[in-house]
Amino acid sequence: MFRSPGVPTPDELEARITELRAAVRRAMAAGDRDGARGLRAELRDAERAWDDAVLGDAPAPAAASRNEDRRGLQPVREQVHQALTLLGAPAAPKLIGTVYAAFFPGEIPGQRLASLRRDEERSFRTAPYARPYYLCAALTADMLAPARGLLTVSTWPLERRIVGPLSPRADFLTSAIRLAEHAERGTPSPDARRLLWRFASTIPGAATGTVGTVEPAALAAAARAELDVHRDRDLRRRESAARRARDRLDDAQRLFGSRLRAVRESGRPAARNAAPDPAHDRETDG
Amino acid sequence: MSALSSLARVQAAAAGIAQPLATVRHCHLADAPLVLVPLKLAGEAAAPLAVMVGSGPGDPTLLAVPQPRNRDLRFAFAASLATIVLKHVETSRGAVEELPPGKDGDERIRYGDAPQLLVPNRGGVAFLRLMGRSTRFRSTEGQYAVDPAVPVLGRWLTWFADRFDHPGSSLLGAMTELLRLHWTTGQSSLEDGNLAALVGWIDPPDGLDGPSAAARAEDPVLCPPAGPTTDPTFDNEVLAPAIASYDRSGGDPRAEERLRAVLADQLTPTWELMWRAVGLLRELPEGASVPKRWERDRDAFTHYHQTFGEAYPQARRDAPVRAARRLHDLERAQDAYDAQRAFDDPLVMAEYRLGGQAFGGTVTDADPARLDETGKRPKLRPLLRVATQDPVRLDEGTTVCNAARPGLKGKIVEIGDGTVLLELTGGMGRKLTPEPGAVPEVGDRVCFTSLTEGSFGVAKFPDREDTPWTHGGPPGEYVPTAEDAEEAWS
Amino acid sequence: MTETAPDLSRLRGGAPPRNHDARTIAALTSNPGCARRGVMDAAAVDKDAVARALGFPAPFGQSQFAITRGNAFEAQIKADGCAELLALLRDRLGLTVPEVAYDDLESVAGNDARELRHSRTRRLVAQALESGDGTLFDHPLLRLEIAGHPAYLEPDVLAFQLAGRLHVIEIKSFAVVDGQAEPEQVAAAARQSAVYVLALRGLVAELGHDPARVSHDVFLVCPENFSNRPTATPLDVRPQLAVLERQLTRLVRVDDILAELPADLSFELGEELATSVRAVEARYAPDCMSGCEMALFCRDEARACGRTGALGRSVRDDLGGVDTIGTALALADGSLPPSDDLAETAEQLRTAARLRAEALGGALGGVA
Repeated sequence: MFRSPGVPTPDELEARITELRAAVRRAMAAGDRDGARGLRAELRDAERAWDDAVLGDAPAPAAASRNEDRRGLQPVREQVHQALTLLGAPAAPKLIGTVYAAFFPGEIPGQRLASLRRDEERSFRTAPYARPYYLCAALTADMLAPARGLLTVSTWPLERRIVGPLSPRADFLTSAIRLAEHAERGTPSPDARRLLWRFASTIPGAATGTVGTVEPAALAAAARAELDVHRDRDLRRRESAARRARDRLDDAQRLFGSRLRAVRESGRPAARNAAPDPAHDRETDG
Repeated sequence: MSALSSLARVQAAAAGIAQPLATVRHCHLADAPLVLVPLKLAGEAAAPLAVMVGSGPGDPTLLAVPQPRNRDLRFAFAASLATIVLKHVETSRGAVEELPPGKDGDERIRYGDAPQLLVPNRGGVAFLRLMGRSTRFRSTEGQYAVDPAVPVLGRWLTWFADRFDHPGSSLLGAMTELLRLHWTTGQSSLEDGNLAALVGWIDPPDGLDGPSAAARAEDPVLCPPAGPTTDPTFDNEVLAPAIASYDRSGGDPRAEERLRAVLADQLTPTWELMWRAVGLLRELPEGASVPKRWERDRDAFTHYHQTFGEAYPQARRDAPVRAARRLHDLERAQDAYDAQRAFDDPLVMAEYRLGGQAFGGTVTDADPARLDETGKRPKLRPLLRVATQDPVRLDEGTTVCNAARPGLKGKIVEIGDGTVLLELTGGMGRKLTPEPGAVPEVGDRVCFTSLTEGSFGVAKFPDREDTPWTHGGPPGEYVPTAEDAEEAWS
Repeated sequence: MTETAPDLSRLRGGAPPRNHDARTIAALTSNPGCARRGVMDAAAVDKDAVARALGFPAPFGQSQFAITRGNAFEAQIKADGCAELLALLRDRLGLTVPEVAYDDLESVAGNDARELRHSRTRRLVAQALESGDGTLFDHPLLRLEIAGHPAYLEPDVLAFQLAGRLHVIEIKSFAVVDGQAEPEQVAAAARQSAVYVLALRGLVAELGHDPARVSHDVFLVCPENFSNRPTATPLDVRPQLAVLERQLTRLVRVDDILAELPADLSFELGEELATSVRAVEARYAPDCMSGCEMALFCRDEARACGRTGALGRSVRDDLGGVDTIGTALALADGSLPPSDDLAETAEQLRTAARLRAEALGGALGGVA
């Protein structure tokens, strides 16, 4: 095998990799983040060079293409809309993803969900009402601000899109009922059965049979019974907040919420507040 | 800790090298112990990451879980580990010894040998215990079926971990604890938990002394921790990227190989240390009681092996009577173990001399033929005066025995002014004149102690069906439930 | 207090005070006899930065696997309106079905400024105490004054309406296997939770209510066995609270220590740093390694001075409190005549040395 002069041998590369790994770890242990970042980049280069020298061209990773297939052909916003429509209540991206995977063909790519609400808001502000629906925020009942990490559909009545202190539970029960009823109409997949079990295990009286199995009708009945306890109190709060929102908020705010822009802690970059909901980003990235 | 061992620690610190705490080896050391160096994934109770295992320094096997969060891969790992551990168990039985039949005429046997597992530290023992707990209830049928060897491994690991709690047992050893039994370093016991630092103090590499070898051992980049916890910078900078690239590769064997390579880098230094430590222990002559304790280990092994087929996996919690009996057994074993070590080893006996429960010195006066004729029949009762500088804290009338030959017993007649007067009462033969050499002569150096082996009596415990109501009454027979078997391992 | 504050900020040499959290506040309770730690903590010196500048960075790194696991478990417990947490509290602790209210205090209308979050926490806790509104408060922000500086503290969850009292709920990702968890981890969780209880009691008192409405029982939520299924364990943190309260009052009394120190002392990073740090006496013990960022520096110093305490508190005690290795050895070999108060110790050390030498010399071995 010929090697052009100056190209390091695999042994040299290995020594280099060992050296760089040690250097990165030392930099991190000493709290030198910038130094570590530079070294880390060098390390990745050296690892790639080693891969090329020793392993040659890697075959196209099989897993990635399989994921592509599983995603299905629908745009992400369509998928999210379907899942939310089935759930019938504000939901976190994680639940939306699980519900879609359990009841629809394919999966919603996680990283796309993270930026979805921002994209929707941008689209609405550029051309209001150009689309038949938007995926938008749930609003907190007290401040009419976007609730952290919840998605809703713009065509829902405002009351449904507003969340008070009792709403997370009420919505969870509403979703349980709707998923159970949907499951009753067909033969639920193993993923769907697992999801229903997850719901049933946290609702009193919903898990009747053996551990891990759930009777959709029993789940729906138990969820209805608990929902009866919370519904009126929850609804009163949501309705009064919705009235306030109609009075005070413009269209865009009604969909994406109003933010506290005036108050700002000193020392924080100003851009942080103007950016569309950093708290939400943090949640979905994790 | 005592003034004696603390003094040794100070001496070690001043000398820059470990000091002996024992003159003989107090543990059994198999010819080919099974050494295991386990690593687990940080943040998880017992998610195995890798283990280096084998019974010879030149023959390690590396088992690794390329994605420790994947349940199937974990159980595949458990199955491979089971193959190695169970083979070691089965090949360590030796020839069968026939024993005299038991009280009710039962046939009794004892295996000629038993398996020995060695891990680097207490963390390694805890890991095997949890690994045992997480695998012994697995079902080999149904939806989450595992390889049949997995629950068998779980039961054996649980058994080994139980025996570890038994003072004086050598079936499972934590290397740091074994070394600390024989040497003291000039650092704190916290730092002794680092196997590399400990070995560095005992046997520093060329050109280094104890403190510099220990300082080198504390650098996780030069000297990977002995596990089961990995170094965080290794996790973040080396392991996580390697696992991520394995995940992305879609099962590319080369990605797995790279991951194995970085894990091997972490494990190999500890693997080598383990065998160096085995070598250090082997250089010490075996203590006189070690074979006797190993015989108890062989008994325990024989019993567990013989009844394995009929027994259920060990319960999650002991029933009250069993727990009380176990505690009592452990206390008795501790008592006997402490005494045996003292009789085997003058350096351990020195602790009792410092504490006043033993004294050593020179015989200054002896009347070996003295008879006590006050009773119906004359009895041989030689008198012995021993000059000692030790701080004797024994009462007159206390029964003592000779440390070098515990059969030779006596009673303290008088203590005072640097001497102890003893009346010897037994261990000199049956005649009215002592067997030759049985009674120490003037000028001999002797050591006597009130310590006895097994002063702790056997307590009686109710049978399980008679468990008192204060302890919940008789417990139900333990039968593993479906829930035990289905318990998620995620 | 007011007089000390300027002195304390001078000690930092212009660096901003370090932000305390529950872990660092809990660490204040260890090694109360150490003046160095006392002064540096009271002045909110960034000990991590100081230790690094001295060339002894604290080895307190965390593995990303542990962090990820912790975050994932907490997210799971809190998902879908804290569904799993509610089920657990109902099942184990008798929370009634109507008690499901959930308030997210991690940000206020998209803004996560600390003052905002704290004032909202105050408002909701006040409401809860007065009208009984509210059940679960997610990531409330509490305040505790540490030597004149506010520290912001963020418990995982507060639960109200368990027998009319507020409870701190701490979510930890270490496993509870057959009812047992690793004792050190439970102890650390108890110390941390005690800090939250103390801060919350302070708030309740400020709002004009009885501080006892904050329970000393905190609930530790951990994964059960080897699963992700949560289990709740009540933890009585009264002992930790008592220690914490005592140490925090002591912290205020650093004036006495300060009075003894040079007037221009400062821990500003720079050439003088090591000298300044050494000017304040430390009392290093191996336990320091588990909690104090300065531990490696102090260990090095203690070893260089031949301190017996560096070998462990029990070693020092066994040696009758003798402080240095040199003295202990000199007493043991008789080269140093003991003072009266050390006579007994010296006697014991001489005997110990003689017995060791005898046993190692084999003088008694094998002689009948």
